[in-house]
Amino acid sequence: MEDDVSNPLRRMSSRTRKIAPKMAAALASSDNRTQATLARLEALENDNAGMETVEPIDDDEASLDDDDDGYVQKKQSKSTKRKTRQAKALENARKAPRNFLELLHEANLESLPPHVPSYGKAAVGPPSSTCRRHFCTVCGFASNYTCVRCGMRFCSIRCQVVHDDTRCLKFVT
Amino acid sequence: MYTNNNKPHTPFHSTATICPFSDMSNVVVLDNGGGFIKAGHGGEREPSTVIPNCLYRPLSSKKFLHPSPTSAADDLTSAAIRRPIDRGYLINPDLQRDIWNHLFSSLLRISPSNSSLLLTEPLFTLPSIQRATDEIVFEDLGFKSLFVADSPKLVHLYEASRRPYGLVAKAQCSLVVDCGFSFTHAAPVFQNFTLNYGVKRIDLGGKALTNYLKELVSYRSVNVMDESFIMDDVKEKLCFVSLDVSRDLQVARRRGRDNLLRCTYVLPDGVTHTKGFVKDPDEAKRYLTMMNRNAQPYSDLNQGSDRPDYAEKLEERKKVDLTKTEFDLTNERFLVPEMIFHPADLGMNEAGLAECIVRAVNSCHPLLHPVLFESIILTGGSTLFPRFAERLEMELRPLVPDNYQVKITTQEDPILGVWRGGSLLASSPDFEAMCITKSEYEEMGSARCRKRFFH
Ligand SMILES: [Zn+2]
Ligand SMILES: [Zn+2]
Repeated sequence: MEDDVSNPLRRMSSRTRKIAPKMAAALASSDNRTQATLARLEALENDNAGMETVEPIDDDEASLDDDDDGYVQKKQSKSTKRKTRQAKALENARKAPRNFLELLHEANLESLPPHVPSYGKAAVGPPSSTCRRHFCTVCGFASNYTCVRCGMRFCSIRCQVVHDDTRCLKFVT
Repeated sequence: MYTNNNKPHTPFHSTATICPFSDMSNVVVLDNGGGFIKAGHGGEREPSTVIPNCLYRPLSSKKFLHPSPTSAADDLTSAAIRRPIDRGYLINPDLQRDIWNHLFSSLLRISPSNSSLLLTEPLFTLPSIQRATDEIVFEDLGFKSLFVADSPKLVHLYEASRRPYGLVAKAQCSLVVDCGFSFTHAAPVFQNFTLNYGVKRIDLGGKALTNYLKELVSYRSVNVMDESFIMDDVKEKLCFVSLDVSRDLQVARRRGRDNLLRCTYVLPDGVTHTKGFVKDPDEAKRYLTMMNRNAQPYSDLNQGSDRPDYAEKLEERKKVDLTKTEFDLTNERFLVPEMIFHPADLGMNEAGLAECIVRAVNSCHPLLHPVLFESIILTGGSTLFPRFAERLEMELRPLVPDNYQVKITTQEDPILGVWRGGSLLASSPDFEAMCITKSEYEEMGSARCRKRFFH
């Protein structure tokens, strides 16, 4: 990767060399934009989106109360408490619920013969018309501007300020 | 680990084949949605219980609680949620088993070992998930027998039985559009079977819509990112489908009483009220006057912005606003359901609902096309937005050949439609014969048993 980029650069004229970093930045920003869009869509499937800290999965430590009215911490015996951290981590990795995309990947649906209907083939696919309406992500009204950093839309200076202050790059790591 | 009175105490093989008569009334019908579980007894019209398919932890509690029909009355402000289902599919079998256990023992009070189970499962469920499900049903809970059905088929059955002389029943064919919690499917059904090869899916459902609404409100007025339960309520009470987006955007910009879309939702304060509510329900319904295309132009409805009662209301609103326990909605009300019709607006590379339907129909035999367009059935909670069917027809009509009719029916109760179809099927005389029994499962395993459901 490194070589591909640096070799042609060496042979470039000084003018191209000036432009190249800008293009690289633009490329990076379009990458940011895709990333931001994907992350934003991903967030729409979250359950506890607002909670900053994801709580540890404590399935194996919790159990049903005898009168069946909810979850209580099971009193751990001393021996299990002394479980090494590593063993604990391993166990959590095994028990942690996985997300659907992981299970999908494991199912290896691509190996199915082409005529067999499957989850992947049922996807509706891209829209036939590429025209996309743009709404301001701040106020919802029609927007004419795109943020150069993250690609989200805004309609006015006022909304841009809000965008910059609150959500710009929120979805980019 | 669990207080499991249902676990078979006898080893496998001992009881399954001996039972001399199959008891028809002992079929449990379970529509296991990603959002809600609908469960009850086969043959009945209404499910006995409808509960969220999750564990939840209110702020007042240190532990996660089981949902029950009364949990809606709890203070659910900022409650954390754990769901066994992700993107429509079961990903956490332990959690699901736990919820089912509670459902069967405490809510339905049935004993699995002498009951059959009719269970709904989403289309294209992965074999690994089917295996996990069968394990819970037979090995952990010990049901006598199992039948697995997909929702479109059950919706079709129910609608056909409601109108025995209608097109759906006569042609034995329909296009079921299920817009639920996790995703949206357009599924052709023919001779009571879902044509898998024709099914098309949009990865958007009620959950994404609620989360989108949360995002919009949080950036514009109050942070409600933690309020899944409350924002579900806001969505259900205030969102609607626009019949003319650019016109409605203009209306949403107006000031004062001319803004027929503005309405106010009051958040729970935890002291005087633990539930949120719409501040002025009549005000919230004013948009309906301009949606009706036969009504007078809405400029005529705009008089009265200086009426004293309204001025008073405005004053009142300003006062309460300071406490930040309420927020206004305007264009969010229709921009949220708008996603289903145009996911591309959101940056999703997916076609909208009208195109989704056309693609589903087009993947079937041409002879079926006219019948399918004429027997579209809407089901699923997200079809409950006012004007959903009207908008769909507006978008669909231009995409369908002129000589075909487009007819869209909304189910009487889009949330319970699948369950009712299941209840109907469970009470049919050949139901037991269609099931796989526990001993068959033990003998053949999950994969071979599953093949039976599709023939
Ligand atoms: Zn704006
Ligand atoms: Zn930005």
